[in-house]
Amino acid sequence: MSTIVALLLVLLGLLAAVGGKQGLGDFVALLLNMGIMIVATVLMAGGFQPVVVAVVAGLAVLATIIFLATPDSDVAGTAFTAALLAMGLVLLVVVVGVVLSHTAGFGQEDSEELEGFSLTIGISFQHLLIATGLLSTLGAIAEAAVAVAAGLAELGPTTAADARERLGSAIIGTALNTLFFGFFGGFAGLFIWFAQLHYPFWQILNDQIFAGELIQVFFSVIAVTLTVPLTIWVSQMRHQGGQA
Amino acid sequence: MNRFYGKTISAKVKWGLPLLVFAVIFGLARWDAGLYRQPIGQVTAVRTTQTRAITDNLGNRDRTTRQAVTARLLNTEARGRVVHFNHTSVRSGAMDSRLQVGSQVFLSQQNSRFVLLNRKRDGIVLALFGFAVALLVLIMRRRFVMTALSILANIGLLLLVLRVDFNSHQVAAFGLFAGLAVTFTVVTALFVLGVSRSAAIAATATIGATAAGVALGYAVFHLTGYKDLHLEAVKYVTQAPQLLFFVQIIIGSLGAVFDECTDITAAVIELPPTQNRFTAGMAIGRSVMGPLIAVLFMIFIAETFTESVLWLRNGNSIAQTVIWVMGLGFAQSLVSAFGIVLAVPLTSGLATFLAKEGRA
Repeated sequence: MSTIVALLLVLLGLLAAVGGKQGLGDFVALLLNMGIMIVATVLMAGGFQPVVVAVVAGLAVLATIIFLATPDSDVAGTAFTAALLAMGLVLLVVVVGVVLSHTAGFGQEDSEELEGFSLTIGISFQHLLIATGLLSTLGAIAEAAVAVAAGLAELGPTTAADARERLGSAIIGTALNTLFFGFFGGFAGLFIWFAQLHYPFWQILNDQIFAGELIQVFFSVIAVTLTVPLTIWVSQMRHQGGQA
Repeated sequence: MNRFYGKTISAKVKWGLPLLVFAVIFGLARWDAGLYRQPIGQVTAVRTTQTRAITDNLGNRDRTTRQAVTARLLNTEARGRVVHFNHTSVRSGAMDSRLQVGSQVFLSQQNSRFVLLNRKRDGIVLALFGFAVALLVLIMRRRFVMTALSILANIGLLLLVLRVDFNSHQVAAFGLFAGLAVTFTVVTALFVLGVSRSAAIAATATIGATAAGVALGYAVFHLTGYKDLHLEAVKYVTQAPQLLFFVQIIIGSLGAVFDECTDITAAVIELPPTQNRFTAGMAIGRSVMGPLIAVLFMIFIAETFTESVLWLRNGNSIAQTVIWVMGLGFAQSLVSAFGIVLAVPLTSGLATFLAKEGRA
């Protein structure tokens, strides 16, 4: 049996044991997301505009995470609306960041790995990086939107603004930890490499791969930070709309 | 009334602050060439001297552009000097893109000629950092201080560990990073929760769940004989990719597991002892574990996009690409998910047990 399949089966067992029906929902969401990401990659390689593919795949990913993880449809509705708004804003930030940073494609550190590959593939690496930047933030956007929407629902509609702000700040605080470690875990190899080669700081800051990675972290931080007030706002709008 | 008026004005204006910070930092960085010893040039004119359509042996069509570039040096003794060089790029931009008037680049002098070395990127990196911090301060206000201190402390720890030279001691390196993970957890717990019973519970549960998740992952890897898992494809590693892969999993999942453990602990500790604390903790854990798994999944998989497309366009099959390129991301997210799921009963149990002890 392939290792990935075995890992999936073990995770299914764990999720079912700990989460019951909810756990099975989480597992289905993960499988769907895996499928969406593979299909998105194939479509991009097939010549479809990568940013368009990413936006469409992004909608599907957000819907999957939010609706399968949230039993309360009111909470899910608020979270989804806010997540879509956040995704739109984040796309703007990502486009500006990627275009101005020229971090698309590969860096010198990748050259060994690229031996034997044709790099003139006719697909814009800049568009691929915009797609990457957008998609990598979506998990964090969905998580923050669900957490805020669920927290607000628990607090009730008459809560003071201060309590809402406290809730939002707490969620941003923990999300920042998740992102900091998550990204560092994704690129520990690169950090160690740079440290062992004793690259000076200015060189690291301008390095294509490192700058690209750092910008990716900032995209996610900005995404989470924008999602929280947006979710509070959407929740209030929906509440007012419901009363009218 | 007056105060209320002032408040609405500032409420609208304040959202412009992050944009202002972004613009100021980005603008300033265009004038910081004096801080660098490496020559930096600003492109003053470009002329396309040749474009050529190319088709590689797989039928991918692309276009190369050769530009004659004029640039003015912004620093070093040769400041103000005008230099000329040629720049070739491919439209898809795998290695470099076309230069435009105003682009700032690092140059390297070879004999009397200058060649392009790298783009200057400090402006956009620092500007986005400033934008993010301004946004965080606007929304979290004073609460941002503790979060920032906690992250700074962790970055400090990380830099300290990275100074150690462990090229020759791979096993020691793994031990060092495992120790680092424990320290990260304890430091973060102390910053977020203070010296308290909650901090002790959350830190213990985080370390326990992460260790259990990674151990389970290791067992599965071993039992399946790493079938279709290509650890040699771990990026930027020259030796012992397996150890580094586990380091990446441990550190990568730490934040998510900690996030979850804090939520559960906070909920359980606040409950009166008359209620079933364990059940309440499990309920909180169940509701957060799915989205947390998704956060890490999207981070780890999106990283593989560019390379996956390159593989597919180079005539590799979808199965090969998924196994070789996306496979490590999948494995990393799945093993991280083990930790995230195991943290739910572990934290609920620990918090229930210790909360009881506290009352007694």
